[in-house]
Amino acid sequence: MKTVDVTVIGGGPAGLAAAIEAHKNGAKVLLVEREARLGGILKQCIHDGFGLVRFGEKLTGPEYAHRFIKEFSDLGIEAMTLTFVTAVDRTSEGYALTLVNRNGMSKVLSKTLILATGCRERTAKQVFIHGTRPAGVYTAGTAQNFVNLCGVMPAKRCVILGSGDIGLIMARRLTLEGAQVLGVYEIQSTPSGLTRNIHQCLHDYGIPLHLSHTVTRVFGHDRMTAVEVAQVDENKAVIESTKQIIECDTLILSVGLIPENEQAESLGIQIDPFTKGPICDQGLQTLLDGVFSCGNALHVNDLVDYVSESGETAGRNAAKWAHDYRTFASIEPGNGIAYTVPQRLNTAEAGGDVVLYFRSKKVYEKALLQVTVNDVPVYEKKYAHLKPPEMERLSIDFAQYDIKTGDTVKVQIREDAAK
Amino acid sequence: MKIKKLQKKLKEQFPSFAVREENGCRIVSGESDNWQDIIKACCLCVSKDRSVHVVNDVTYTGQADAPMRLPAVQNNELDGRSPDVLIIGGGISGATILRELSKWQLDCLLVDKESDLAMHASGRNDGEIHPGVDLAKGSLKQHYVLLGNRMFPQLSDQLDVPFDRCGQYACFTQGYLRGFVSLYALKRKYIDGCKDTQILSARKLRQKEPQLNRDFKFALYNPSAGCICPYGLTIACAENAVQNGAKVSLNTAVTGMTVENGTITSVQTNKGTLYPKLVINAAGVFAEEIAKMAQDRFYSIHPRRGTNSILDRKAGSLIRGIASVKVLELNTGHTKGGGLLHTVHGNVLAGPDAVETHEKENFATTPESIATVFGKQKTTAPDLKERDIITYFTGVRAPNFEEDFIIEKGRKTKNLIHCAAIQSPGLTTAPAVAKDVARMALDFLQAQKLVLRNDRFDPVRKAPPRLAQMPVVQRNKLIKENPDYGYIVCRCEEVSKGEILDALNAPICVPTVDGVKKRVRPGMGRCQGGFCSPAVAKIIAEHQNIPLEQVTKTGGGSPLLFGKTKGGDAQ
Repeated sequence: MKTVDVTVIGGGPAGLAAAIEAHKNGAKVLLVEREARLGGILKQCIHDGFGLVRFGEKLTGPEYAHRFIKEFSDLGIEAMTLTFVTAVDRTSEGYALTLVNRNGMSKVLSKTLILATGCRERTAKQVFIHGTRPAGVYTAGTAQNFVNLCGVMPAKRCVILGSGDIGLIMARRLTLEGAQVLGVYEIQSTPSGLTRNIHQCLHDYGIPLHLSHTVTRVFGHDRMTAVEVAQVDENKAVIESTKQIIECDTLILSVGLIPENEQAESLGIQIDPFTKGPICDQGLQTLLDGVFSCGNALHVNDLVDYVSESGETAGRNAAKWAHDYRTFASIEPGNGIAYTVPQRLNTAEAGGDVVLYFRSKKVYEKALLQVTVNDVPVYEKKYAHLKPPEMERLSIDFAQYDIKTGDTVKVQIREDAAK
Repeated sequence: MKIKKLQKKLKEQFPSFAVREENGCRIVSGESDNWQDIIKACCLCVSKDRSVHVVNDVTYTGQADAPMRLPAVQNNELDGRSPDVLIIGGGISGATILRELSKWQLDCLLVDKESDLAMHASGRNDGEIHPGVDLAKGSLKQHYVLLGNRMFPQLSDQLDVPFDRCGQYACFTQGYLRGFVSLYALKRKYIDGCKDTQILSARKLRQKEPQLNRDFKFALYNPSAGCICPYGLTIACAENAVQNGAKVSLNTAVTGMTVENGTITSVQTNKGTLYPKLVINAAGVFAEEIAKMAQDRFYSIHPRRGTNSILDRKAGSLIRGIASVKVLELNTGHTKGGGLLHTVHGNVLAGPDAVETHEKENFATTPESIATVFGKQKTTAPDLKERDIITYFTGVRAPNFEEDFIIEKGRKTKNLIHCAAIQSPGLTTAPAVAKDVARMALDFLQAQKLVLRNDRFDPVRKAPPRLAQMPVVQRNKLIKENPDYGYIVCRCEEVSKGEILDALNAPICVPTVDGVKKRVRPGMGRCQGGFCSPAVAKIIAEHQNIPLEQVTKTGGGSPLLFGKTKGGDAQ
């Protein structure tokens, strides 16, 4: 049986960065990708705006991916493409992966595992849209695949539900390709995509954004003929009197992403109910020794730059992992904070900067962020804005605070002290 | 009830309706804009004499009925054909009858107006193989459910369709009902022939189904209940029939008939005129329309909608078999009340509900249906959660007012057999009903000519291999033989390109995204085709040698795409 130090599952931006970093740290690495080409979802993201944080320039998705793919192949790291991981078993020597591809079934024994499996899109039924089931209901990613990879048009006249970034990008993309985008409907009272995308994809093309609105029903037997939209109240309940029918042939959904963690769950790895990714320590190691998580499988990111960063963290730590024991302090979201990643601090690990990713629960102007250890404030930072669609990144050296096993680190907003 | 008395009673309750007896039917007439009133009035007129049926001639003045949906295609493909038997309807009834008849040297043709088999009730139910515990002796349903249930192990084996005899539990929270329910069980067991009926203690119930409500005090248990994939079985039956020489024509709607002297002389379709010797009416919700065309209408179908939710396989441990909470109420809704069911594919189904409707082809779902089902079934399993739903679907049942099957020769029209008013447990009963219908058909045809057995009949049909469920060695061997089995297209259900091609190369090829989905399951998982639908569409396009933008979801007017992008020749 083939044996490696690190197996990376998924060849998107997280997996590529993880594989490169693990390799650089001396590990023998195998990357497994189920599609024919590396790059993950970036392959179909032909718009620009990728890499501002990391490279200080605006790249397209394929360009961004290419930089990593090039480094990956220059380093001679092994990749198996068109290969699917069908089972992962925990053995005394490590993780035994069963792979399937066109050559047959094979096994790999790996000391550590990096789950870089990305995320999937929430579907129409998962946001409880009712009515018929005609052709013409697509998630934004599927529509993007058709347009950008297959060169075919999924829509002529469409309504977009959800102001997630892919939905906004697709509003512009379909408009440029000659389709009519009637409007973007968002159930929340604030947009869920990046502000820059609201401007560049909707405002610049005169596409209306209807906040506090949702799609309630789909019509049409073969191909979609119309949707019913309605305004919602503060509790997101549909206001009956505002229901109206909009004739269209397509409904595109950008209503959220769900980290793909079926492999993690099959290993019994504990999942954070909020992020839907594994609970991790600062090395992005899950609570199962030797299994790491990164990218959108760990938590949904809005910038690919941070996806790569988390991949590198996981890759570096997976390469170094040598069956040390771990002891944990917990990191918890406090007032106003939706979640933090990581959720654990490995107190057996020596000091050094720990990168904390978090999102606020609601929109804050002039917020004071506070970090406490066992309710004693140790760190504060002022923010001009905090909004849920925009993930925040914080780098703190926790070593100075003398955190012990069992301690609780809390990240919270001090609303009273902000002004 | 004498007709005079009934007329009086009807006048009292529904002054705008009238009823008369004619040709062994009770014909209800009048006018109303309230569909529920029409249903109630017709139900009131049901006769105790099982051969007398209610015919609904009331004019419904409410929301106009949409006309029957017809296929877009028009050609002469079938024009002039004169099959021995024409079966109208490609649901489980039609498909099982076709298979039975393929055991004989007969020219049999099944037509269905949809782009695939099992597109109506047979593809839109929970797939339970019923034990018959809720049926009293004397009905056709009860007769056939006991016969049909026993046939499933062999049938599923021959047709390579997974079947799980997983057992059914009707659960009670009120311990004091145990005596009463025990008597009921004894009656079912010894009088109604449902021999496996037994009472299970709370402790035993928990051993078998640990996730159910801890408050259940006992359950009525039928180990003979099972589940199967209902559209999978329908497709398998039809494929096996085709392998044995029968013919299936999809996208083929019967639009009219010529009847002379009590004989159907020709049948008009969108693909030309047919001259069958015998017609079998297995047209589901449209059986009454077919009966009318054949001048043999003596019953009425009143559609009844039901919605099921499909839960993620992650929630699969919620239940191992089939269960529902039972509350003591008069069962007026003619439904088994729905429940939770662990499918052969590892999902959980929740539902269905039962709502009377005048629309025969409205498969739209409503939030109310889901709320009703979940409201009730959370008592069955407290861990049942809406957020585990991956999709939901609605089916329309085709009952008559007597709530029993109609399996008989035409009353006025000689070369006609009705297999109508088939509703739950119609999937269970189908193989047994098919035997009898085939017998009736043979009797009719043998009176005209000598019909010989089809010596080459092979009852065995092979499904595309399900590689994800195979041991590694066997799977490896198949991939070595055909590398397409090693390319995973659908990650949620782990379906390979090879399996998709097998579905397209099957005896009945339905080259649509839904057709492939029903046969080998790409897109059935939690992402609902988000990742794989472009890949599946490409495989269909390649196989059919058509451009990608001509691939449809369900055939006809359901294109996935509208041409190429501005520079879209990148393909």
